[in-house]
Amino acid sequence: MRKTKAILAAVTAGSMVFGLAACGGGSSAYQTTTAAAAAETTAAAAADTAAAGGAETTAAAEASGEASTEDLKIMMETPVESLDPQQATDGTSFEVIADYTDGLMQMDADGKAVNAIAESYETSDDGLTWTFHLRQDAKWSNGTPVTAKDFVFGWQRAVDPDVASEYAYMLSDIGQVKNAQDIIDGKKDKSELGVTAVDDYTLKVELNAPVSYFLSLMYFPTYYPVNEEFFNTCADTFGTSPETTLSNGAFVLDQYEPAATEFHLTKNPDYYDADKVSLTGLDYQVIQDSQQALMSFQNGELDMTLVNGDQVDQVKDDPAFKSIGAGYLWYVSPNMAKVPELANDNIRKALTFAIDRTAITEDVLKDGCKPTFTAVPPEFAAGPDGSDFSADQEKFKDVCDSDAAKAAEYWQKGLEELGETGFELEMVVDADDAPQKVATVLQEQWQTTLPGLTVTLKVEPKKQRVQDLQDGNYQLGLTRWGPDYADPMTYLGMWVTNNSNNYGLWSNADYDAIIAECTTGDLATDAQGRWNKLYDAEQLVMNESVIFPLYTQCNAEMISTKVSGVEFHPVALNRVYKNAKKSA
Amino acid sequence: MRKYIAKRVLTSIFTLLVILLVLFILMQLMPGSPFNDEKLNETQKATLYAKYGLDQPVTVQFFRYVKNMLTGDFGVSYNISKNTPISQLIQTRLPISIKIGGAAVTMGALVGLILGLIAALNHDTWLDTLCTVISVIGVSVPSYVFALVLSYQFGFKMKLFPMLFDMKQAMKSSFLPSVSLSMFTMASIARFTRSEMLEVLDSDYMLLAESKGISGFSLIFRHALRNALIPIITVLAPLIVDLMTGSLVVEKIFAIPGVGSLLVNAIQSNDYNVVISLAFIYSAMYIGIMLVVDILYGVIDPRIRLAKDGK
Amino acid sequence: MSMAKKTKAIVQTFTPQADYTPVDSDFVLKDNAGEIAIDTNFASQSFWKDVTKRFGNKRSAVVGLVFVIFIIFMAIVGPHMNGYDYSSQNLSTKNLAPRIQGIENLGIFDGSEKMSTTTGIKKVNEYANKKLYDTFYWFGSDRYGRDIWTRTWTGTRVSLIIAVAATVIDMVIGMSYGLISGYFGGRTDMIMQRILEIMNGIPRLVIVTLLLLVLKPGMITIIFALMLTEWVGMSRIARAEMLKLKEQEFVLASKTLGAKSFHIIFAEILPNIIGPIITQVMFSIPTAIFTEAFLSFVGLGIPVPQCSLGSLISDGYNSFTTHPYQIVAPIVVMALLMLSFNLIADGLREALDPKMKEM
Repeated sequence: MRKTKAILAAVTAGSMVFGLAACGGGSSAYQTTTAAAAAETTAAAAADTAAAGGAETTAAAEASGEASTEDLKIMMETPVESLDPQQATDGTSFEVIADYTDGLMQMDADGKAVNAIAESYETSDDGLTWTFHLRQDAKWSNGTPVTAKDFVFGWQRAVDPDVASEYAYMLSDIGQVKNAQDIIDGKKDKSELGVTAVDDYTLKVELNAPVSYFLSLMYFPTYYPVNEEFFNTCADTFGTSPETTLSNGAFVLDQYEPAATEFHLTKNPDYYDADKVSLTGLDYQVIQDSQQALMSFQNGELDMTLVNGDQVDQVKDDPAFKSIGAGYLWYVSPNMAKVPELANDNIRKALTFAIDRTAITEDVLKDGCKPTFTAVPPEFAAGPDGSDFSADQEKFKDVCDSDAAKAAEYWQKGLEELGETGFELEMVVDADDAPQKVATVLQEQWQTTLPGLTVTLKVEPKKQRVQDLQDGNYQLGLTRWGPDYADPMTYLGMWVTNNSNNYGLWSNADYDAIIAECTTGDLATDAQGRWNKLYDAEQLVMNESVIFPLYTQCNAEMISTKVSGVEFHPVALNRVYKNAKKSA
Repeated sequence: MRKYIAKRVLTSIFTLLVILLVLFILMQLMPGSPFNDEKLNETQKATLYAKYGLDQPVTVQFFRYVKNMLTGDFGVSYNISKNTPISQLIQTRLPISIKIGGAAVTMGALVGLILGLIAALNHDTWLDTLCTVISVIGVSVPSYVFALVLSYQFGFKMKLFPMLFDMKQAMKSSFLPSVSLSMFTMASIARFTRSEMLEVLDSDYMLLAESKGISGFSLIFRHALRNALIPIITVLAPLIVDLMTGSLVVEKIFAIPGVGSLLVNAIQSNDYNVVISLAFIYSAMYIGIMLVVDILYGVIDPRIRLAKDGK
Repeated sequence: MSMAKKTKAIVQTFTPQADYTPVDSDFVLKDNAGEIAIDTNFASQSFWKDVTKRFGNKRSAVVGLVFVIFIIFMAIVGPHMNGYDYSSQNLSTKNLAPRIQGIENLGIFDGSEKMSTTTGIKKVNEYANKKLYDTFYWFGSDRYGRDIWTRTWTGTRVSLIIAVAATVIDMVIGMSYGLISGYFGGRTDMIMQRILEIMNGIPRLVIVTLLLLVLKPGMITIIFALMLTEWVGMSRIARAEMLKLKEQEFVLASKTLGAKSFHIIFAEILPNIIGPIITQVMFSIPTAIFTEAFLSFVGLGIPVPQCSLGSLISDGYNSFTTHPYQIVAPIVVMALLMLSFNLIADGLREALDPKMKEM
């Protein structure tokens, strides 16, 4: 009897100890990191508030868990990929980097570029030279001033082949910075990049061609400064912890580890514009399950969260519910080069006319996405006169519309020309929720409107889908494109012959000529003339149904009514918190 | 006994090597590449391939990989968290997963044992049926459904527990995930205990014990349960590792920064290095646990010890 | 059913009566439904007849069998019972709650649902709102307006096909492996067992997940992935049984008569071990169904618009807080299937092994 008990007890105790030991390990590891973070902040910044912030987190771990009441609690769908401004490529990372880093320019509430680290700037008459004068009161969080050299170092990193930045083309193709392409290709040394520090507070940039939207690139994180001296002290670990990041922006990172599901930023007391920042900090939480996120929002564990289509029914009467433009254009790319049926213009017209875009946005997505009938989506690019490039969605009505009867007509004509009675098409789709929903609906709409057509879906992980499209290994592809900068060229540049994103291998000499003229040619300095030419280019794309535009993505967001002043942008930085306020 | 242990250790090491090979082959066959993105052109991709040594011949890659894996150098993440050493990613996550998994196993095993005992002792009565039904629900309802139901009821409606994992109150916020994970273990252990107990209760030595006049409690716990426990330990081992994989989805739901959610993210973003490293760690843990259990089993059960030594 | 009646009859005969004429059942052992009746060992020569009888006596196993038969029947017939098919969408009738003709007048299954919004709970009846007076979705409709009834049974069919196919292939491979290993023994056995140990050391789910990333998901690949590791258990059982049987006289007799090894293994011994193997099959089927459900959740399940119980559950999961009824039907069917197969397996194991008598 005694022996039995002993054995049972041993088994139980054994498993308990296993559990407890593991617990101990977990929490102590956490405390060490926090303590280290706190210590580092004290030593580095000697900033009272920041240190208090660090200490507070540690204290909270022991005490009631009561955080500072003014922190904004933000939900994110995916973890940060990289906090290295020249390595980051995704919106999530950009948002966080921009929370604690200022570039030469920053975005105002309307998405216009306004001065940040740059106090003033001038440009030469030929538009090839820009000179930025830096403000002298901007400091990194370790006390060193932000100088022109930091920008030179950052930009050189962006094109350095050893760094292999995926966004290097922001400097070469898009920014047209002198020598950028040659450096990326390894033909020139990075020191030859067309950017020089004239003195500590003057930065001179030389371009290959005038770039009308150059200022709006200055708030893009690839163009952010990096302090060389600090970078060299952390080298490989740069941007992987609070100790290895340096802030010159509104907030300071004080709790973070790579791919963290939870991290925190505190207000930067040394920020040159600190008076305007009212939040005490940002509290990020990565939640991948949207139902869980909404419930947390309702419980007050979050101030901002994304909701998905089905949940919109639940929240549409809530004053906290908002639909926010995300800039992405979703479209179907037909592979004209490989599929003879899709090379037929009538068949393509039939397919695009058969799509009921309103049904997709109103009945399936429901998050405020807008049906789109243009190759450049609305509401991200404003022209010289301030008007939206794609405000008029009916301008291509006779070549792109939702009209089942017309679709059937085109379909019959197309079939006759091909001498077929029907055929099968396969569409590649991302394995994510929204694209799968849209694809399922498209499949059904096509099959019911166009007799004789069978559409099958090939669902694959996104990376694989992109590869298939780029290799031309597809028939129809459901894909999206997000704008990199506020100019229609970010879209129109894609359909130039041999562009790697021109999946359908469409080629049109007139089109190529227009685009060339608008980027580096005569029109590059004539804003209005260029703008009109771009309309012509879009017309060509739409006339030949090179893509079937579907909708412009919107995100359905819940934003607590206590919160105001969060700025949303479809380009570059999706959310900016500098001017946000949260009432108690 | 020593010979038996040596043999088991050797088999385990060999298994690990085979797994390394299998993982490498699978990785080579994986569709897509970690650097597929609309925004990258061919030259940029080539640069990235060169940077990570993916442009070298397969054999070179293989030997480098085996060497690195065995020395604990898992390389860096390609795109979940760019250029971060994977060992650093795992370092903070593994303890959290182990802790939640450990709590789940403990809870599951204890409750399962009790349920199984009740069922066996009341064989073919309504209590037995009830326990069977509970355990079948446990094995047939996926853990992610439990997770959602629990967080809806206890987190959202009743507000008893936090719905999201929170480092600051790790104990409290890991309760719901642990419970949802433990259901499968609980159910499996309950089923197994029940059938083992039935078999033991039916054995001749139990009949002997009973006829010797040993009664009730002592009979069950001293004679029956003790013998039934030995095989239960063996099923517990693979269950622990199953649990780690089960945690993939539960960690995602509760936003737990563990290895499970890391693996899901890695799979979705083709982060080869992370997937392969985690699969390797999972396998190594599995093999390790199996090894320990086998040796323990030999120590506990004299029949096995003697039989193996006799060979 | 008939067994239960018989037991009752037996009990009744033992109540004392005045003028008593002995009846047949007086010669049946008391408190014993006949499974250890001394006579039967000689009377019914067939082992299988015994097994069937013992199995029939186990009420839970019979219930399990009835459920499995019913579910299989519904998996065949169910998708054709109303006018819907599993893949056609109708966005104007999406997310409708269950509504059944007749029963709706009782206030249940009338198409209304409670929706908990962030601004409070509201009760809605979309059928009434959309004026769909003649539309009935027995289990409701999903977010594309597809009928959940039809999809549930279609999904059941797919899940059953996947599970049964995977298990049968497992059985064939595992059984052959175990039998051959056990029969030849010695060096062959040693090598085959080491290979087995290595196979067993590979964590199943990790490999299956990776494999499905490599192969294109589809019914065949899922079956292939599922059978990969499951055969190990099967072969263990076959080998153990073989070791028990191979020294017996009938094997010796066969050998003396000059039978070839493979004849002995597959024609002589195999029929004798089919019992435990079938039990193992019954245990494996639910495991396969469950694994498929996990794969669906990770996004590696059956491709759309096809569905399996697993994919239906993960679909329903996504609208659990909005339209909870969408997950109910597939979950219930899956739980019933798992329960039933487990009950059958338990019953079969006890029926095959008479030593495991009732307590």
